[in-house]
Amino acid sequence: MAARGRGRGRRLMSFSVEAVGISRGESLPPSILQPTPLFPPMEQKPLPLVGGEEVEYMLALKQEFRGAMRSLPFFIQPDAPHTDVERYSDKYHSSEPADSSLDWKPGEAAVAVSLVKVSLTACFAPQTLEKKEEEVSSGEEEGEEKKKQEEEEAEGEEEYDEEEFEEETDYIMSYFDNGEEFAGDSDDNMDEAIY
Amino acid sequence: MTAQEVRLCGLLLQEHFGDVVEKVGTHLLRNGAQHLRAIVQETGTPMDLVKKSLCVLIQHGACAFSSGRKGPGSPVEYQASFERILRILRYPRYIYTAKTLYGDTGELIIEELLQRGHMTMSSTVKTVADRLTLNMEEGHSMEYSEVSNTFSKLVETHFLQRCPPVEVAGKAVSATPDPATTPGAPANNTTPSTPESFADCYKVPHVTLIGRGKRRNSSEDGEDQRNAKRAKEDPETHGDEGIYWQVNFERFHLHFRDQAIISAVANKLDQTSSEIVRTMLRMSEVTTPPIATCTQALSANEIFRSLPPNYNISRPILDQYLTLLVDDPMEFVGKSGDSGGGMYVVNLHRALANLARATLESVVQERFGSRSARIFRLLLRKRHLEQKQVEDFAMIPAKEAKDMLYTLLSENLVQLQEIPKTPDHAPSRTFYLYTVNQLPTARMLLQNCFKTVANLIERRLFETKESKRLLEKSQRIEAILASLQASGAEPEQLTEVEEMITPPEKQQLESLRHHINKLDSAENQVDETIFLLESYIKAMKRL
Repeated sequence: MAARGRGRGRRLMSFSVEAVGISRGESLPPSILQPTPLFPPMEQKPLPLVGGEEVEYMLALKQEFRGAMRSLPFFIQPDAPHTDVERYSDKYHSSEPADSSLDWKPGEAAVAVSLVKVSLTACFAPQTLEKKEEEVSSGEEEGEEKKKQEEEEAEGEEEYDEEEFEEETDYIMSYFDNGEEFAGDSDDNMDEAIY
Repeated sequence: MTAQEVRLCGLLLQEHFGDVVEKVGTHLLRNGAQHLRAIVQETGTPMDLVKKSLCVLIQHGACAFSSGRKGPGSPVEYQASFERILRILRYPRYIYTAKTLYGDTGELIIEELLQRGHMTMSSTVKTVADRLTLNMEEGHSMEYSEVSNTFSKLVETHFLQRCPPVEVAGKAVSATPDPATTPGAPANNTTPSTPESFADCYKVPHVTLIGRGKRRNSSEDGEDQRNAKRAKEDPETHGDEGIYWQVNFERFHLHFRDQAIISAVANKLDQTSSEIVRTMLRMSEVTTPPIATCTQALSANEIFRSLPPNYNISRPILDQYLTLLVDDPMEFVGKSGDSGGGMYVVNLHRALANLARATLESVVQERFGSRSARIFRLLLRKRHLEQKQVEDFAMIPAKEAKDMLYTLLSENLVQLQEIPKTPDHAPSRTFYLYTVNQLPTARMLLQNCFKTVANLIERRLFETKESKRLLEKSQRIEAILASLQASGAEPEQLTEVEEMITPPEKQQLESLRHHINKLDSAENQVDETIFLLESYIKAMKRL
């Protein structure tokens, strides 16, 4: 805006020149037509970080905490990508821990009281399901007494998933070879049946 | 919810809970309260993963559910809490504070509770006893009762609190006969109930816990299996089922605030004054509500009696110190009356405001130099000044003062206020005054802090990713070394394995570790500034 006024010779600007401090003959800094640099040079260097025992200890605490969180059941991994065809041995692969804690089935004995009440007042199925989800999730998280048994199971199951799953089958996991290494080698013979 | 806040929360969730929880969490933060189906559709994550993520978030208190807004029949809505997720940055500080106050036992209790979100007292005590036993010498183990004692002490001083029981939407009658529920909670209770609204918030349950910590030794795999099965099939009841505990962050924040005030007094005046202020704060710990502007009035006689015994200063000297504290421009201590030898209060809100102001001034000084800081302080004190007056009061030549003012103006640390003389706001007949508003500037700096921490985390992740190959190699070699040492190998084998890492690689690893430590440490320190600014803004909001 200042440049526009200056070029035309009409010195009408939205703010008074003298008040803000630009005197008549002074040149304004050139206007910049590109975004500011990503790492602009700093005139003042930042202060160094505080050192000391306390700081070191908190640093160690922080890193240990991060490491510990990765090994807890709260660290959720995304689903492994599914292969194109369902294989018989997929049933026996531990692709994800069997979290039957989230398989809440309506009508389970432990959640009888609240669910009975809810099912009486429920309008139709999807809402009932979601209410029950919320019932059980609230029970699981906040520990209401009426769901204590279910939630104890759930807590136990969340933690001991791997072992429980491995107990279920009597076969060694590696026994069930998918056969994918075998099929992957011979890509050109697609008309032959793959066993 | 600003973009910076969402970005920071996303990074924190990703580091601690994984990518899935991060996706669900950031979606909830960006879009407010949502119900389950909407989350599944919009994030494109499978239903069971969404459920798991919501469970994890609720378990850690980062998400709350409530009945839908459209009435009693609508589905449950979930809402993530940005503040709670941000607390993750402060976890090391909480754990360290617990260590200074209650020793190793307290430290481990707080650490376990922070890792797990909500836990019962019995499971906490058992886990902590086991962990402590691991670090003790052979043949010694930790008694459950000792750990329970520390737990009770933490509850008594309100550092731990019970998780509030939940009222479920759509139910006319609350099914739990527990006296801790709020009486008569209506079905569509939209106001969030704080944990403190429950009567039994700080009551330690009667728990029967007799035993000692178990030491895990090399035969632990077989034992684990057996223990796991036993725990599943036969859960030992200790009388406190259903009572979950969480860390009370507000109490820790009060403690940090007190610490900040005491160290500020120590820096500005001297050690004795800070001891006096510490005594005053300690005496009014239980009587002052968290939102109070200042502590309860304490008489000089009481303060004299409660001073720590190794500080044997005489009564007149104490009076002199108190007068000094009252006269100090920082206004930490105020005099509210003359009875009992003088009634004194600690001005909490004013102290916070002064600490925030000092932070702002220090930021300006470090970024723009001491002369710009002088202009900034001048404007803070004198409120509104014209261009000419700034030059005169700051004693800086006109040209440089102009330059500095424009730089500060472009960074939005200083604002321009127009005062028209005529109704048509003609520029030649308007006053233009420079001014600094402390509260909006503090808010802006707080957002800058969030951006800083997010940048630090991203840079750390980037550095780790760059050297991923090298890190993996070093981890493998450490594992090999550990297993060799455990099975008793000769020194030659060990040196052979160690030489698998070449010296330049070792150097690279060393510098990588140094950088990561620096970035981590910087995050912790920016969090201290965040705490100060947040406390100040919250205190001002309540006024």
